[in-house]
Amino acid sequence: MIINIYLLSIAFSVIFLLIVVELVRKNKLSEKYSLLWILFGFAILILSISPVFIEKISALIDIKYAPSVLFVFGLLFLIVYSLQITIVLSKQSKRIIRLTQEITLIKGKIEEDRLRNSKNKVISKEEQADNEAV
Amino acid sequence: MSDMSAMDGQNIKILVIVPAFNEEKSISKVIRSLYESGHNVDMVVVDDGSYDNTSKVAEKNGVKVLKLPYNLGIGGAVQTGYLYAKENNYDIAIQLDGDGQHDPAYIGDLIAPLLSGRADMVIGSRYVKKTGYTSKLSRRIGMLFFSGLITLLTGNPIKDTTSGFRAVNRNILEYFADNYPSDYPEVDVLVRLHKKKFKVMEIPVEMKERQGGTSSITPLRSVYYMIKVSIVLLINSIRSGALS
Repeated sequence: MIINIYLLSIAFSVIFLLIVVELVRKNKLSEKYSLLWILFGFAILILSISPVFIEKISALIDIKYAPSVLFVFGLLFLIVYSLQITIVLSKQSKRIIRLTQEITLIKGKIEEDRLRNSKNKVISKEEQADNEAV
Repeated sequence: MSDMSAMDGQNIKILVIVPAFNEEKSISKVIRSLYESGHNVDMVVVDDGSYDNTSKVAEKNGVKVLKLPYNLGIGGAVQTGYLYAKENNYDIAIQLDGDGQHDPAYIGDLIAPLLSGRADMVIGSRYVKKTGYTSKLSRRIGMLFFSGLITLLTGNPIKDTTSGFRAVNRNILEYFADNYPSDYPEVDVLVRLHKKKFKVMEIPVEMKERQGGTSSITPLRSVYYMIKVSIVLLINSIRSGALS
C-alpha cells in the first residue's frame, strides 16, 4: 500500500487531537481555548476520511480545484483565530497594566507608612543602609 | 500670589503628576522650579520603570515617588498618577513632564479656569504665544495636522494637541483614573472628553527646550505616529457607549 495524502492527513489529525487533549490534561492549555482546536482536529479528520465531502463543497460554491476549499477555509480559520487571540491579549494587557498600577500605589502607601513610623524613631546608620539596599 | 491664598481658604487639594522615564538629569530641576513657583500643591513623580536614578533623585528632593516596576508607557504612567489623585481625594490634577519642558510658573494660569468652572480641562499650549520654543518642520506639520483633525472631530480648535502640560478637575480626574488610553493618550483623550461633553480649553504657556535626555521623534516615526493616531481618533469618534 502506498502512503498517500489521505492517510497522512488522517494520521496528522489523530496526532493533533491527541496532543490537544494531552495539553489540556497537563493544564498547559485551558479548556476554554481547547474547544476550538478539538473541533478543528475533528474537521480535518472527517475531511481526510471522506474526500467526497470536499468535492461536494467545492461543487456547491463553484470552486474548480477541490483542494482549494481546504486552503480557503484553513486560511479563514487562522485569520479568525488570530483575531480572537489578539482580543484575549488586549484584555490581558489591560488587566496587567491595572495590576501594575495598583501594586505601585500599594507599595507607595507602604513606603509612606514606613517613613511615618521611622520619623518617631532614631534610625541607626546600619538600618539606613539596609533600607537603601532594599 | 493673592489668588493662591484664596485657594488655601477654599481647601482645594491640588496634585502635580510628573511622569518621568530616565530623567535623572532634569528631575531635580523640575522639582526645584515647582517649589520656587510657590504654588500650594503636592507633587508625585511617577517613575515609569527608569533604569537610571530618577526615583532616588526625586526622593532626595523630598517628593513622593510612585515607582512602576517596568515601563508602562506614558499613558499607563500618567494614569497611575490619576489613580493616586483619586484615592487621595485631590480636587485638581496637573500633568507636568519630567524633562523640564513645562514651566511650573504657569500652574496658576492653568488652574484658574477650573476654579471658576469655565473648563473641565485646561491645556498649556506652546503655539499661542511664540517664545523660546522652536520645533522642527516635520513636528510642526504633525501638530497642524492633529490640530485640524481635532477641530474637525470635536469642533474645538485646539492648537497644541500633544501638549502634556494640562490640568483637570475632579470629574475628569475620576474619569481618567478608570479610562485612560495607554497609547497616544494626549490627542486621544481630546476626542473622548468631547464625547463625554467635558469642556476643554487652551491657554498660552512658554515651553523650554528639554533639559536632558533626547526626544524620540524622527521624521519617519512622525509619519507612522500620525497615521496610527488618526486611525485611533477616527475609531473613537464613532465609538458609542462606554469608552475604555
